[in-house]
Amino acid sequence: MKKNETLRTPSTPSRFKVGDRVQVRDMPNMFYTRTQNYVRGVTGTIAACTYKDLIPEDEAFNYDGRLEQYYIIRFRQKDLWEEYPFDNDTLQTEFPDRWLDPLETGQNRKK
Amino acid sequence: MSVRSDVDLGRIALLEAIRREGKEWDVIAPRYGVTNPDPPWRTSLVAMCDCLAVSGALPALERRSAEDELTKSVYGEVSAPESELLALVHTMLSRGLVTEGDLASRMRTVRSRLEAA
Amino acid sequence: MADKHSHAGDDHDHKAAPMVEEITDYEVLEIAVRELAIEHGLFTTEDHRKFTEWAESIGPAAGSRLVAKAWTDPAFKARLLKDGTEACKEVGVDWAEPTGVGTPSDYTNFRILEDTPTLHHVIVCTLCSCYPRPLLGMSPEWYRSTNYRRRLVRWPREVLAEFGLILPPEVEIRIEDSNQKCRFMVLPVRPQGTEKWTEQQLAAIVTRDCMIGVALPRPGRTADVHPVHEARRPVHSASEHGKAAE
Repeated sequence: MKKNETLRTPSTPSRFKVGDRVQVRDMPNMFYTRTQNYVRGVTGTIAACTYKDLIPEDEAFNYDGRLEQYYIIRFRQKDLWEEYPFDNDTLQTEFPDRWLDPLETGQNRKK
Repeated sequence: MSVRSDVDLGRIALLEAIRREGKEWDVIAPRYGVTNPDPPWRTSLVAMCDCLAVSGALPALERRSAEDELTKSVYGEVSAPESELLALVHTMLSRGLVTEGDLASRMRTVRSRLEAA
Repeated sequence: MADKHSHAGDDHDHKAAPMVEEITDYEVLEIAVRELAIEHGLFTTEDHRKFTEWAESIGPAAGSRLVAKAWTDPAFKARLLKDGTEACKEVGVDWAEPTGVGTPSDYTNFRILEDTPTLHHVIVCTLCSCYPRPLLGMSPEWYRSTNYRRRLVRWPREVLAEFGLILPPEVEIRIEDSNQKCRFMVLPVRPQGTEKWTEQQLAAIVTRDCMIGVALPRPGRTADVHPVHEARRPVHSASEHGKAAE
């Protein structure tokens, strides 16, 4: 948090915990976005909850000044890329809550 | 990359003149037997980029996406950090943060000052 | 271009160095644009001075010390894994410097990536080349290139092989793409043959490339060497390798 933010700054609900399976949404871009093309629509696993922060203003259609939980998501390289030859390799990257959809409850299982 | 840049990729006369001289550090330093890997202004350039990001005048993501486009096109043959300086100035000119006329004039003043010292 | 070396423990060396005896237009341009930017109120002289001093003060020595301390002090390593930002203060690095709220990422959160014999991390920022500068200093040119940023996420083993690092398929390579406000650094596996070494001896073999994840530390290896043979233009791998990271 920036120095002038306090614990009273409202937060959006944090919907996920470590181990949850999530899918990266493919929302229309504002001009600049930190959600890479190569992860859109891909399913991964919450590897860590990192911090709460404001969404950058130029990313948010409905910027409302609320803090949002950020997460590190772990993907299998085989799920990110066609014909990736190595089974074990993974990639991690970070998203705020709004960029993630839960998988159906029945499919939510630890990787 | 996931970011489109709005930088104008048209060549800028003032910067083209500098580029064509070819006086990048990795070309001229060996001529003087200077082994520092970077020119002395490099940290000042890094600081300038940080300041522009902190003040919001030119956020890092926007500056870097413009730099990616410029260094694969207009400044493709220029080594770093000169390519980064040219890309930064080109982006600032493209956004109207400075003007080519002011820059050319200020360069003349600065050069006179440095040469007199 | 000559080989560019980086030595473990290097800070930026600002003893008086010989200067080139000409004033290039690049030097003049940097001063001119900076003066105009300050006059137009884009930033202040004071902020620029503060960030310049900070850029000159940072180097990979702090990162090397951090790794050596984690290797020799299990309690420190536990603290580092639990709260990386806080643990960095124990090696003299405050992520809130120089502005009080951090570097231009505003708020930064440092996380160490612990390698094991079956897990090897490597860091990248595909969007803009974010880098753990308080611990490693300024990023090397190759780290900022689109060549590295696009290809590492798509073909990590090929890229690592170009650095001379080949890992068996059973080892999981985990790429960390730092696209938000976390900053990362690799904690490599402590190599064999260093069991009785001091922290200082250990720090000497933890080079910048080891902490990025493109090299492994080993006794006797105290410098990163990159013979320059790649083309100046970034490789556009779309035609060679299929869809690359966009």
